[in-house]
Amino acid sequence: MGANLLGGTALNNLFTKPIVAVAAIFYSISGLSQEMPSNALPQNYTPSLTLHNTPNISGVWQSFTTANWNILSHPVQAGPFAEQAGGWGAGRAGFGIVKGNELPYQEWAAAEQKKNYENRAVVTAANDPSRFDTGDPELLCFRAGIPRANYMPYPFQIFQTPEQILIVYEYKGAYRTIYMDEDRPALDESWMGTSNGHWEGNTLVVDVKGFNEHTWLDREGNFASDELHVVERWTPLSPYHMKYEATIEDPNVFTRPWTMSFILYKNVEENSEIKEFNCVPLVEPMFYKPLGFYDEDISSNP
Amino acid sequence: MPKKILGFSTHSQTHEVIVSAFILFLMTDAVGQDSPPPSALINQQSEQTLEAARAASPHTSQSTYAYFEDEAKAFIENAIQYTWDPTAPRLTSKKTAWGDPDLGGYWLNIAYVPLERPEEYASNPLHTQEEAVTAFIQWTTRDAAVDPATVHYDWTEFGMDNWQSPIRPNRRTSLITSPTNGRVPALTPEGLARREAQSRRHTLESRGLYERCIQGNQGPPSVPFVQNTGQAQIIQTPDHVILITQANSDVRIFPLNGSNHAPETIRSYLGDSRGHWENDTLVVDTTNFHESRKWNGSSSGLQLEERFTRVDEKILLYEATLTDPSTWETPWSIEIPWPMMDAPRWLFEFACHEQNYGIINVLRGARARAAEYQTTQKVE
Repeated sequence: MGANLLGGTALNNLFTKPIVAVAAIFYSISGLSQEMPSNALPQNYTPSLTLHNTPNISGVWQSFTTANWNILSHPVQAGPFAEQAGGWGAGRAGFGIVKGNELPYQEWAAAEQKKNYENRAVVTAANDPSRFDTGDPELLCFRAGIPRANYMPYPFQIFQTPEQILIVYEYKGAYRTIYMDEDRPALDESWMGTSNGHWEGNTLVVDVKGFNEHTWLDREGNFASDELHVVERWTPLSPYHMKYEATIEDPNVFTRPWTMSFILYKNVEENSEIKEFNCVPLVEPMFYKPLGFYDEDISSNP
Repeated sequence: MPKKILGFSTHSQTHEVIVSAFILFLMTDAVGQDSPPPSALINQQSEQTLEAARAASPHTSQSTYAYFEDEAKAFIENAIQYTWDPTAPRLTSKKTAWGDPDLGGYWLNIAYVPLERPEEYASNPLHTQEEAVTAFIQWTTRDAAVDPATVHYDWTEFGMDNWQSPIRPNRRTSLITSPTNGRVPALTPEGLARREAQSRRHTLESRGLYERCIQGNQGPPSVPFVQNTGQAQIIQTPDHVILITQANSDVRIFPLNGSNHAPETIRSYLGDSRGHWENDTLVVDTTNFHESRKWNGSSSGLQLEERFTRVDEKILLYEATLTDPSTWETPWSIEIPWPMMDAPRWLFEFACHEQNYGIINVLRGARARAAEYQTTQKVE
């Protein structure tokens, strides 16, 4: 195999020994500095095609960023409920995925993000919209929205037909349909938005709008409003890698559009498939125990 | 109020949640759901309550029917041209570009025919064509006449009544095709004990999974609900068939690669499904149901076989066989022809848990009813 990256038969070939070896040789004979890209993927990759002749991006994908904790660069942190969850609940340090590592918040919105952070583990169990005032939607098992669903620490599976591309996210089993045949308007607001897509060369470009006003971008409380407009670009880089880029616009929250970018990795295990992650029963105690409705006999305790 | 109503609805999330919670609250014998505990049932279905609501309404069933009469008649006139006849030969399936039977599209799991065969047809599994049409007209007419007692949830106004869908007459007298009496088989002693233990509980956890937004009201298996909530989409690739239901936006993925079921330690609410083709039919075997997932009293050992066949351009035939020896004395089977949904064809996000205001209200209501009931008992 050596440095034949195009062969790409095993995921680890792309990252470990061959590249290190090649880099070491280059470094030693040419005196090149650290500018040498140490993990560059082959350029001008031509993806395989589906039966309907579009780039084939089907399969189970996942990001390996820590952006779900914070889309900006961040240190190690203890998680909420650290007194119970300890190391299990803690977050790793990681690079951000935002270009320039800065979010152009309007003044009020910067303050709102801080408030979100402070209340990120506060549950409002109410039978009215005040339940959306506090708590990270992920904590509460609400849909994650776009772009967040793409960098949560859960895989998702892509299915392609000529008319639609379906993405099913393991987190909550939430799905989104990307309409490829003709653009559809966002008839109603939703958590996952309304997606219309088209191919530009090997890049799938998806326009997403029609969001509700409850979108969070991470556990840090970064957020958007119902004016959120996301333009995603999905570009396969190898059979097992895909670049994800998104331009985020929200005139209610930000002073200008901004972009994010990270790599998605394809799961190539023999039994690769997403599983059911139905978190609703897992959060019921959190919602209903404080109201006296969980594991308590209602009739004997009226 | 809109007079002309589309055959599909753009139900908002909030509306869906309220409606779904209400339906479970009201329809205690709804197929596919665990019966709510008795504390929630005190008074709410009493004839007194319904009569009071009717008396308070400025409308009657007759006046609401008159409002929709022209539309209902036009619907009937069209629908009765397409009676489902299970004895007729099935047409050759449409094929995909890669040669598999083409199941893709938007389908509606819907029926007026009851799950179990009524006594009056005990020995008669099939209507004649004429009887099927007569029964269909009766159901449709009743459906289009809104009961003022339920006017706060006037499905017709939202275009969500069965008669506002592509529902068609059916020669069958029950959806159950086996056993031959068209009835759910007797419960085993274990199944009976499980059901009784369940009905004695009065907690959140003893309520239906749909009401708790854990899963939708479309199974598996997909048995029609009491109203027009059976919208579904099938997406098909050479390697997978995916069934998405409007109710709760549940997604079931059927791999076609011949893989084995997941180990039995991996259990889930929608079960572990594997599909394969048998001629023109997609056969899906589902197992590994979650311990807390009881469908119509079944255990987590339920083995489900579902068969999907496109028997016509606009009909997808759905068949299912349930085998659960710890619950029912024998396996049993159902058959439902799913008509293609009318255009424009969409499914919408059903964010149930996110806005499940209803469950809190329902539980508070149940508690209030329980308190009332206990007071009554003391007086007596």
